[in-house]
Amino acid sequence: MMAGSLKLVTLIETHAEAIAEQWVKDVKKNARTPSYHSLSDETLLTMAVRFYDNFSQMFYTEKPAEISRPYFYQYAEEHFRHNIPLSESLYALILMRRHIWLYAEFQTIFISAVEQKQAVDSLVRTILMFDYAIIFISQRYEELIRGEIERKMGRLRRIFSEGKWGQKMREHRTIIATSLTFLMIILTTYTHTVLKSDIVFTHLYYIPIILGAIWWKRAGIYISVILSLYLIISHLLFLPSVPLINDVIRSLIIVTISLVLTWLGRGLVAAEEILKRSTTKGG
Amino acid sequence: MLPSMKLADLAESKAEEIAREWVVNVQKNAMTPYYHNRPPEKLIPQAVKFYKNFRKIFTEPKPIEAGREFFSRYAAERYQDGVPLHEAIYALILMRRQLWLYAEFQAVFTTAMEKHQAVDSLNRTILVFDYAMYFITKKYYEMMQEGWMEKEK
Repeated sequence: MMAGSLKLVTLIETHAEAIAEQWVKDVKKNARTPSYHSLSDETLLTMAVRFYDNFSQMFYTEKPAEISRPYFYQYAEEHFRHNIPLSESLYALILMRRHIWLYAEFQTIFISAVEQKQAVDSLVRTILMFDYAIIFISQRYEELIRGEIERKMGRLRRIFSEGKWGQKMREHRTIIATSLTFLMIILTTYTHTVLKSDIVFTHLYYIPIILGAIWWKRAGIYISVILSLYLIISHLLFLPSVPLINDVIRSLIIVTISLVLTWLGRGLVAAEEILKRSTTKGG
Repeated sequence: MLPSMKLADLAESKAEEIAREWVVNVQKNAMTPYYHNRPPEKLIPQAVKFYKNFRKIFTEPKPIEAGREFFSRYAAERYQDGVPLHEAIYALILMRRQLWLYAEFQAVFTTAMEKHQAVDSLNRTILVFDYAMYFITKKYYEMMQEGWMEKEK
């Protein structure tokens, strides 16, 4: 290790807690780190002390990249768990480095000409460490974000597109949706003409509506419109003595839910596209 | 001449030369696989733009303001190109290293006085890069969210 770096490492090792305290004060009021403002002093202090402990260890090794990777992955995971955006997480890290330097300057450890040379050595070494830190943290953040999106979308994917049954159903989606829509029309006619009732069987409408929204997105709304219109027409034809209002409300709810489902489905597609984009290395 | 101007002048006057060296580096660096198969004529202008703007950002009394616009645009362009965030950041770090290597090779800072200038230049460069990291990551996530919104429309 270079002499300048040794001086800085000694400072970090002996004053980790004091430097960490300064960092906590800064990060809790800095305009670029708002996510840290609500975290407790103890949580932040632990984060910073751990960082300074690990940081000094990195100076002793010939291969700082390999040694530092697990620690910075852990740093990213911890900050991600606290819902801290990457930009803030990196800026907090930058502030940790600045506070080492502020403390070093405050302690005036680099004064003479020789010490100025040592200052350059320390700076160069510190920058190298931070280059690795920034890369490892952003890399891990990207993985964590991808993992979270994949996990959230995974269940829906399994059910509707990538699962064995999901794929089989998708292959025959036109037949399935048409058959189910016709089945609902027959059921509506039967309930209105034979049972002479408008009892709430319309819950079953949601089966073709949900499938339509997933398979065709916006075009899936047509299923809800067809079924809602038929519900009202059938009511007018076969149940003239029963007030229409309930079926009108049901129709409106059915179409509204179908719109919401379509919107959610489009969100899923957008998330998948962004996910694919961030996963594709090399563009 | 201001203590830190030597590096800024070098970046501006030798932009093309340093950019070519950066391309060689980024095309074989294990941490930047995106850049490996890209044609150099598409990559060189990216680095030239950085080196030409470096002086402006470097010498501004408030580098944060000058840096915000440049680095946000850098992030937006790399995002549009489909460069993963950590590679876009590392490519920029390599631009900085290349500049320093070039300055060392050219023996820009040799005397005791110049060593002092080197510390100033280093400090100033680090400050510029601190903001760069912040603006780039912020912009990438904004672009990601914007992309999401646009696709939902």
